[in-house]
Amino acid sequence: MIQVSELHFVTEDGIKVLEDVHLHVEQGELVYIVGPASSGKSLFLGLLGAHVPPQRGQILVHGRNVVRLSPPKRLELRRRIGFLPQGFVPMARTVHEALLFKLRTLGNYREQAEEKAILALETTGLIRQQGISAAELSNLDRIRLGLALAICDTPWLLLIDEPFEGLDASEAAEVCAVIERVHTGHLTVVVATRGPLPNTARSHRGVTLLDGRVNEQ
Amino acid sequence: MSALPFLFRELLGTIRARSAVAFLLTWILLVVFLACVSAFFLLVPSRVEPPGGIESLPIEELRAYLSPRLSSASIDSLYVDIRARSDVSSIQFRFAQELRPNATGGVFLIRPMRPEQAGELAVILESVNGVTEIEEMRAAPEQTESPLSGVVRIVLLVVLVASIALAFLFARRGYAELLRAFAGEIRTMRLSGVSERVIVPLVVGLGVLVGLLAGILLFVVLFLLHYTVASQAAQAAWAAGLSGVGRVLGVSFVNLLLGVVLGGLIGLLGVSTLGHRDFDPLP
Repeated sequence: MIQVSELHFVTEDGIKVLEDVHLHVEQGELVYIVGPASSGKSLFLGLLGAHVPPQRGQILVHGRNVVRLSPPKRLELRRRIGFLPQGFVPMARTVHEALLFKLRTLGNYREQAEEKAILALETTGLIRQQGISAAELSNLDRIRLGLALAICDTPWLLLIDEPFEGLDASEAAEVCAVIERVHTGHLTVVVATRGPLPNTARSHRGVTLLDGRVNEQ
Repeated sequence: MSALPFLFRELLGTIRARSAVAFLLTWILLVVFLACVSAFFLLVPSRVEPPGGIESLPIEELRAYLSPRLSSASIDSLYVDIRARSDVSSIQFRFAQELRPNATGGVFLIRPMRPEQAGELAVILESVNGVTEIEEMRAAPEQTESPLSGVVRIVLLVVLVASIALAFLFARRGYAELLRAFAGEIRTMRLSGVSERVIVPLVVGLGVLVGLLAGILLFVVLFLLHYTVASQAAQAAWAAGLSGVGRVLGVSFVNLLLGVVLGGLIGLLGVSTLGHRDFDPLP
């Protein structure tokens, strides 16, 4: 569950990016945040993901107040949040090795990591490409790999930034289908996109982020 | 489970031709630096034993130990008698404890007029009533000149400074190449909430490893030199510093310590590049 209240964010130049943002996301809900470029979507996800320290307001993620978390606790929370950043650049490894790297880095034993990697590859439909170098992947498979990396260590929350960037309509629909598959596992998912949303995504809750404020669509 | 050993293996596995060459050069330069440091400690002036041994050296002083039962009047009288001798240049009284901690009584420090008279004088003094022991003090063996001449010292200093400066330069290049290849992994680690307390030791650890390996090589080389020098019947004067196992061991440990410290500093040089935007997990 995510609860955002009275969230404000001002850049060093004094530009108000987020202004009195309120948002409630239920456990297991899939929410699309739609907004134009530079509207603060990535910043908002960064705040939710405990990557950007908040300035004013409250952010509750799974009962933890991000504002009040100590740096070690913030890192601990970050470990429980899957994050696919905008313009994701994969590691120079094969798909399978990339997943194993992340899982072993987070303290999983080899066998455990192998199991989780296979599960993530199956969920994202990358199982056949597991031996391919990540650098050789198509844009669509690159996003799939980013999603696989984000979900492989069973996160509480999945944050996805601009997953449709550089994809055509059919590829965007494919990504939507992968997000659906991930979500059916009752994972809370927040997707930020410039839009327009693929048709398959329209059945889910959508909010707009415009002029620093969030509004229900 | 600590991920550090796994991550360190992965980091080492990312080393490719360019970074490998840079780190190899860094290692060689550290070895050169440590070799220069060792030269300053090990190529020291040595005392040369005369062909006839220590016994052939002239006697400079005789120490006549006196019985503790002698009265001060007897000591005074003995003092005057010895001073009056024509073969005695000077005489001084000391308490025996000043020279030997557990001794009692007094001692006369007697300098013979000529060194060749010392033997005869010692025999005479030994027979004097109240003298318990005569100790012959010989001249110190001649000291050779340092095997490091002024020019060699300057050259060594220049090499010392140049090697460490170049080592840092190549290390910087090596880290730039290596971390560029490892950037995706660092971004993934940061994105996944891996602490900088894991990432920083990883990068510093590589520098420490390079420094440690340089120290270990010098350790082996110095001990090989030590055994070579020790096994030779006639030792060269310049190798005197290498013949003592204690000194070689000490210098080797100094090298290891220096290697680790310099490696750590080199590692910090690598850490300083981690703030670059390439390693930011979010755009």
